[in-house]
Amino acid sequence: MDAPTSTPALPAVLAADEAPAETGPSPREAERAAIEACKRGEREAFDQLVVRYQREIYRLCYRYVNNHEDANDLAQEVFLRAWRAIGRFRGQSAFSTWLYRIGINACLNFRAARRPPAQELPETIPDPGVGAAERVERAEQARRLREAVGRLPEKQRATLILKIYHDLTHKEVAQVLGSTVGTVKANLFHGLGNLRKLMAEEGE
Amino acid sequence: MASHLSDRTMTDLLEGEGTPEQRAHLASCAACRSRLDNARAALEAASKVDVPEPPGLYWEALRRNVRRRIAEEPERRTRWGWLAPLAAAAAVVVIVALSVGERPPTPAGVAPTLPAWSALPPVEEDDNLAVVSGFAEEEALVADWEEGRGLAAFVAALSDQESEALTMALRVEQQEGEL
Ligand SMILES: [Zn+2]
Repeated sequence: MDAPTSTPALPAVLAADEAPAETGPSPREAERAAIEACKRGEREAFDQLVVRYQREIYRLCYRYVNNHEDANDLAQEVFLRAWRAIGRFRGQSAFSTWLYRIGINACLNFRAARRPPAQELPETIPDPGVGAAERVERAEQARRLREAVGRLPEKQRATLILKIYHDLTHKEVAQVLGSTVGTVKANLFHGLGNLRKLMAEEGE
Repeated sequence: MASHLSDRTMTDLLEGEGTPEQRAHLASCAACRSRLDNARAALEAASKVDVPEPPGLYWEALRRNVRRRIAEEPERRTRWGWLAPLAAAAAVVVIVALSVGERPPTPAGVAPTLPAWSALPPVEEDDNLAVVSGFAEEEALVADWEEGRGLAAFVAALSDQESEALTMALRVEQQEGEL
C-alpha cells in the first residue's frame, strides 16, 4: 500500500483523505478511515472505534455475564479480538455488525469457559421518587429478569438481547447471527414466550 | 378457521404490522391473542431492565486497558501470515477430533443452560450453532484460532454435517498417513 506511513500523534482518522473540507468527515467516514488506519497497523486509530462502541459492547457483555467484573474482562477481550482480526474485515457488513458478532461469539465462549462470580454493581434506578424499599424490589426484579433472559436457548437469547437492548433491526440481527429475517422474527417471538413462562415460574 | 398465526407473523403483529387478514384472525382467535399478550408482557417487562451503569471513570479505564493490551500485540502480520497459526491450530483440531473418535461433538457443547421444560426452536430453525459457525466466513473465528483458545468451542460448535465432513476428511488423511 502506498498510504503515508507516518503516524500522526492524533488519530489518523481525522486527517483522512476524503474528508470534505468544510464540514469534516461524517461519523461514518471517520469510522471507515479509522478502520483503514487500523488495517495499516496504526494502533492509536483503534481508540476511535473503542470510544464509539465501548458502551454497546460493555452492555452486550453484561447481559451475558450479569456482573461488572466479567463484563469488563469480556469487553476488553472483544476489542482485542477485533483488533487482531480487523485486517481481514472486508466491509461486507457494517463494522458494528461485525463487532457484535465478535461480541456474541466471545460471550458464548466465555460462558462456556467459567461461571460468573456473584458480584454486581448497584442497579441504577433513574426515578428519584422511588423509595428505598421499592428500589430494592425493582433491583431484585431486574436481576431476576436478566437471569431469566440468560436461561433462554442461545439463539433466542442473542436475538432478544440484540433486538430489545441494542435496537438492531431484524435484518441486522440476522447478519450478526448468520441467520435470516424470518428466523430472527420467529426466535424473537419464541424467546419472548419462553421468557414469559420463566417469569411465571419465578412468580410462583 | 384458518390455522393459527406463525411465530414470525406474531412478531409482525407485536410490532404493529401484519395484514388485515392476520389481524382478523387475531380478533377471532383467543389462543393466538393469548400468545401475543404473553409475548407483549414479556417484551414490556424485559424492555425496562437496563444494565447497571458503571462509574463515570470506567469508560476511560476501559479504553486505557484496551490501548495497553493492543500495544502489547505484535506488529500486524503480512497478508497471509495468519495462515501459519491457523495451520497449527488445524493440527490440534486433528488431534482433538481423533481423540473424540466416532462420536461427533454435540451441539450442546456451547452452554448447557437449557432448562428441561424449555421448548426448543422448531426443527427447521434449529440452526442453533450458526451463531458460532456462521463466523467462519468472518474473522472472529480466526481470531479464536490465533489465540489457540477457542478450539474446544470451535469443535463443539461444529454442526452435524460439518463434524461429519471433518471426520471424513480426517479418516482420509489418517488412511493416507498410514499407507
Ligand atoms: Zn389462532
